[in-house]
Amino acid sequence: MSNTTQDKPELSQQPQQQKPPVLEEDDEFEDFPVEDWDQEEAEKASGAANDNAHLWEESWDDDDAAEDFSKQLQEELKKVEASS
Amino acid sequence: MATPGTSVLDRFLSSIAELVRQRDGAKLQDFLQLEPPLSDIYQQMVVELRQRYPAESPQKDAELHRRCESLVPRSKGSSSWIAFPTFMKLYFTFLRDVNVENLLETYNLLKGLLNQCVLALGDSQMGVVVLPTVLYLCKVLAKLAMGLDRRPDLIAHLLRLEGRSDQDESVEKVTLVEKSANVVREAFIKCLTDRSGTPGVQGKPEGRRVGIYLMANLCLKLLFQCGKLRNAEQMFASISAQSPPLTYFPASQRVTYLYYLGRYLFSNSLFYPAQIALQAAYDQCHRQALQQKRVVLTYLIPCNIIMGRFPSGLLLQRPEAQGLAEKFVPICQLIARGDYIAFREHLAFDSPANEWFARKGILLALRNRCEILVWRSLTRKVFIHGGFLGDPAAQRSPPPYLYLKKLETAVRWLQSRHVQSSLGAISFIPPSRALDAKAGENTAGSQIIYKAPDPDFADAHDPDTNGTDRIVSSKYDDYLAPDAYFDALGQLQENPAHTLTDGDPSADYSQHELDPYADRAALNSEDEAQGKPTPMMREIESILASLLTQGLMRGYLTHGNPRFAIPGARMRGAIPTGFPNVWQTIYARESEDDNVPGWVKPPKPAAAPVGAGGGGRVVNLSGARPVGAQ
Repeated sequence: MSNTTQDKPELSQQPQQQKPPVLEEDDEFEDFPVEDWDQEEAEKASGAANDNAHLWEESWDDDDAAEDFSKQLQEELKKVEASS
Repeated sequence: MATPGTSVLDRFLSSIAELVRQRDGAKLQDFLQLEPPLSDIYQQMVVELRQRYPAESPQKDAELHRRCESLVPRSKGSSSWIAFPTFMKLYFTFLRDVNVENLLETYNLLKGLLNQCVLALGDSQMGVVVLPTVLYLCKVLAKLAMGLDRRPDLIAHLLRLEGRSDQDESVEKVTLVEKSANVVREAFIKCLTDRSGTPGVQGKPEGRRVGIYLMANLCLKLLFQCGKLRNAEQMFASISAQSPPLTYFPASQRVTYLYYLGRYLFSNSLFYPAQIALQAAYDQCHRQALQQKRVVLTYLIPCNIIMGRFPSGLLLQRPEAQGLAEKFVPICQLIARGDYIAFREHLAFDSPANEWFARKGILLALRNRCEILVWRSLTRKVFIHGGFLGDPAAQRSPPPYLYLKKLETAVRWLQSRHVQSSLGAISFIPPSRALDAKAGENTAGSQIIYKAPDPDFADAHDPDTNGTDRIVSSKYDDYLAPDAYFDALGQLQENPAHTLTDGDPSADYSQHELDPYADRAALNSEDEAQGKPTPMMREIESILASLLTQGLMRGYLTHGNPRFAIPGARMRGAIPTGFPNVWQTIYARESEDDNVPGWVKPPKPAAAPVGAGGGGRVVNLSGARPVGAQ
């Protein structure tokens, strides 16, 4: 905090909010600048198709047998099987 | 007294009186400025207040109060709004006396002012007029409290003067933030309990009820800041019981509330309802509100990961998700890979990734809830590469199965792999961190994860001592073999040789069921363990049992010659049957109840006709006589 604002920290919050729109570590959920908006202006507009499905991957099982980890695991299991 | 109408104060008072008459709450709030820098006209009023009503004079104080009493319309029959003049007088004395050099005093004055305003809010007729003022004061108080929370050095010297330093840890400290939350909660309750109009779920936001979520959101913000989430529980319960549906409130209030509600549910491990609330917050958020969308995603993403749904590339490429991919993608990759040691190290206490997750309050949830998914992935891979996948050609063949010995092999391989990499000079993992990798060498406890030995029991597993020697050398030797003891006759007996005072375990107790050295049998049992499953196998079995119980794997375990078998796999194949989709499994189980506690929805039109043909019928019973009436 700079020297000019040191004596009244509670007031220095105001100018801070006008920082450039860089998305960095901001833990706090800021107040919205507007009170209300239509569904049309929302992230998921009412008319839009249900596109939430594309936001999430349900099938993520890693079946790539050529991938390093799987390959080494496979070799290890074979090795132990052969020795026993 | 100066002639009315000439001074700023007089004009101010008559304006306030007019605004109260008109019930213009918004404008009233606009008039009641108190945050510096005050405009010239307010500073002029402060000068007048100090001249005409100096702080030192009780008579003048009383006179100021009388002037404020005239602000409230006096109607015969109804009680006048006495809390308001007291509030106005406090407002003037605040302006007159406040010294922003002393922020603690400023805080206390402001809190007193807000308290009085909340009392004024409680009036059933006039209360709603001060609602915007209450909100304004709540915000100023919250801002000050949170500012001081971040810069405790600004008031540390003042707290010391009051004798409330940090030294006294016997009493739980109530921080300024928590105190503020308590005042805001009072305002919230006043809003929620407005009885005018139709209250409850059937009601609309009218009267003081328009402030329910404004106050709730501010209170939640403060409670999250001071880490007293538990105090929010009653608030959510009251909202569920008494609030009109959330959907009738403005979008900013809805989104903010759903965000806090989602985080509250998340921190209570109610991930499914948390996911619904947070997804709704994200969906209803203004498209351009990147900061808010990003904060919502910070919780929505881990919530989904825990339930087996990973963020897609599409989501992570959105502008509000900037930087989130590098946090969450490694976790998703580690879950899918099945390397439990790498996963645990990624989120370990001393890992570099840990700090961000800890600050967001999602570290423990991710660590505790996702590890089981890692085990599912590992078991799945071992099954694919080392299991019997069934013989579709055979008429009769055993169901697909996996010898758990192979999983044990895989775990030991993982451990050796990490030991090697931790010894390698180019490794990013400092040697001290490959602890889980060495768990296979643990003499006691888990063979899979490392836990520091409990010093109280450390001796018991020292392989160099055994039997009687071990008992004597344990840390209980002062009890078992003391310097002196009282014998059966109550005589003090010296025991310089430190023999066991209760007798020799083998000689004196081999015939008895009651053995004061209860641990003894277990201590000597290592040699009997030959041929039995290893402790690691026992652990693997319990991990798989946990996966089966949660439905994340399907099949059964056999205990002798430990196996995981997957019956009924002929149709769909062994892998999809034995390792069903995580999200679909959890969704199928959880979506039976889509109710989100704390989120009030409009009542379902229960009286509406059900079905096309029959239709519902309303039977009017108003004229019916009670049963048994003559």
